[in-house]
Amino acid sequence: MCLRCLEVSRRSLLAGGGVAAAAMATGVAQARVRPQDMVPLVGPGYRPTEKDEQGIWQLMERAEEEIAGSNLLITDPKLTGYLQNIIGTVGGPAAKDFRIYLAHIPDFNAMMFPTGFAVIFSGLLLRMRNEAQLAGVIAHESGHFLRRHMIRSWRDQRRKTDLFAIGAMAAGIGGAGAGVYLGDYVQLAQLGAILSLFQYSRAMEAEADAMGAKLIAGSGYAPVEMANIWQQLIGEETASAKYRRKHRRRGSLFDTHPSSDARLADLRADAADVTVPGRAYQNGRERYLSMIGPIRPMLLDDQVKLNDPGASQYLIETLAQDGWNGLLRYYEGEVWRLRNRRGDDARAAQSYSAAVAYPDAPADAWRWHGISLMKAGRPSEARAAFSRYLIMKPDASDAAWVRQVIG
Amino acid sequence: MRKWGVALALAAAVPMSACVQTRQYADVQFTPPRGEYKLLVLRPDVTVGSLTTGGMIEPRADWTEQARANIIAALRAQQAGRGGKLEILERRNQLSGVSDQEVADVERLFYAVGQSIVLHKYLGAYLPTKRGKGLEYTLGEDAVRLGQKTGYDYALFMHAEDEVASTGRIALGVLGLAGCFVGFCAPNVGGAAQLDYAGLVDLHTGEVVWFNVVRAGSEVPGIKFGDLRTPQGAEQMVERLLGRMRPGRAIRRAAEQR
Repeated sequence: MCLRCLEVSRRSLLAGGGVAAAAMATGVAQARVRPQDMVPLVGPGYRPTEKDEQGIWQLMERAEEEIAGSNLLITDPKLTGYLQNIIGTVGGPAAKDFRIYLAHIPDFNAMMFPTGFAVIFSGLLLRMRNEAQLAGVIAHESGHFLRRHMIRSWRDQRRKTDLFAIGAMAAGIGGAGAGVYLGDYVQLAQLGAILSLFQYSRAMEAEADAMGAKLIAGSGYAPVEMANIWQQLIGEETASAKYRRKHRRRGSLFDTHPSSDARLADLRADAADVTVPGRAYQNGRERYLSMIGPIRPMLLDDQVKLNDPGASQYLIETLAQDGWNGLLRYYEGEVWRLRNRRGDDARAAQSYSAAVAYPDAPADAWRWHGISLMKAGRPSEARAAFSRYLIMKPDASDAAWVRQVIG
Repeated sequence: MRKWGVALALAAAVPMSACVQTRQYADVQFTPPRGEYKLLVLRPDVTVGSLTTGGMIEPRADWTEQARANIIAALRAQQAGRGGKLEILERRNQLSGVSDQEVADVERLFYAVGQSIVLHKYLGAYLPTKRGKGLEYTLGEDAVRLGQKTGYDYALFMHAEDEVASTGRIALGVLGLAGCFVGFCAPNVGGAAQLDYAGLVDLHTGEVVWFNVVRAGSEVPGIKFGDLRTPQGAEQMVERLLGRMRPGRAIRRAAEQR
């Protein structure tokens, strides 16, 4: 009998399953954390004083050195300055200590590291509809730092694994002394310890949401926008799953984050809590759009190439709720064209022709509009579209071919 | 963070016994540097942590600093005996004429190549095309350029991680040993462990000419084998890792025929 090798007997599996099922029935949900209870636990210029936290900081300082020099980062000073400004506004007492990096990864994510630097994925900037939403995500991440979540969860893990190791050893020895086998109980305790770690992690996420709502409301952003982020994400996941003939994944006991549905509900309640009647809240949409405008084509291009047409279509339609334009119509066409099911070529052609009606249509919209017209047997209109493409992009890589087609 | 991948993969391969293992590979044409060579040592990548009662590794900043200083001192002493001229980088921006980004790029490239070496030479995913060819890996032009700009002949990369069993972990092992008297014998809960590796790159050709891994581990907490926090432990580690560089196979054969 050794402690490390885990023998899974049928009985213990059944017992474990029973516990899990019982826990499922009671639900993963937990009581909402109230924003008013969220007080920052660190002040400006925080440095760790205890050994365990100092060790983590040293490792993370190395990690930051690597991340800061990564070639995945978008280093445009205007954009990074914009993000730094936002975290400087909603970062609470540590606002001036935070560093923020923008990584070129087409995924919805953001993370805070224990030493106070955050990494935002570019996919997040595609999904946010206004500055209040972006500030909400950044404030949530700041909340992790301000509430000292990393060191608290590390200590929680250490305490629980210690207790489990001692308990398991004691059960083994005590059981052997008394002549009974306690292995099944040890395995149940192990499952319990693992589940409680995940639950602790979800509790911290709930704290960060509540802290975030409080922070952005304090800075004058509409707090309800944080709830809207989750509504958009639920919609996107549903659309993505539906296209793949699957169901959207809901929360489970082994999740590190609360389910999107739970977060949506809690954040709506949080928003109501922190809204001061009579105060004006802004969402900063104009400023946000002008800031990310230059990289929006890149963000959309990354997204449509993910081969996730359900999500891409949902995202484009969500962004279009603030008004269609040539760029969005062009990428709507790209989603259809790349999906390539029966009839998608006609749908794509429609989108391209809608795109070129807008003054901001990208050059490639004219190119694909031309190709669609050629396929439809309308060569003279196609030539006109191609000419427009060449005027906009005279040194395109396929310019010679296009000239030859025009004849 | 690629090097953590290497570290994890190697750590997983540590056999469950109290022992020290080393295994080195060299380019078939490799001759250990001797005489008037100039060696550049990239910042040694060292982490020392405490193994908690429950088996987690708690990184310790003070121990890590101490271990790095000990390793650097041991390395200087060792290389001085061999006649080479040595520079050990403490920071990436220390080389004149080379930006810290260029140094970082070479370091990252080495850890990526090192990951391949570990996978294909140590972890069993052997490649038939590389059989009998010794160590056949290169960092390419980036390393050659570093050599041209700085005038160094070789670059040495070092990684060391050490887990020191905490008092609680040792007590758990003692408890497990005590259990033997009542029929529940579990002293082997896992104790201190050390993993070190190093690679030597020829800056004239860019090739990784030599690679060595030292693994040390004990299932029973409380047994020690070279604690990097002490000068003696670091000296022992540097000796195990770099002490006996064997020449490549072609060179050894030629020497036997003579």
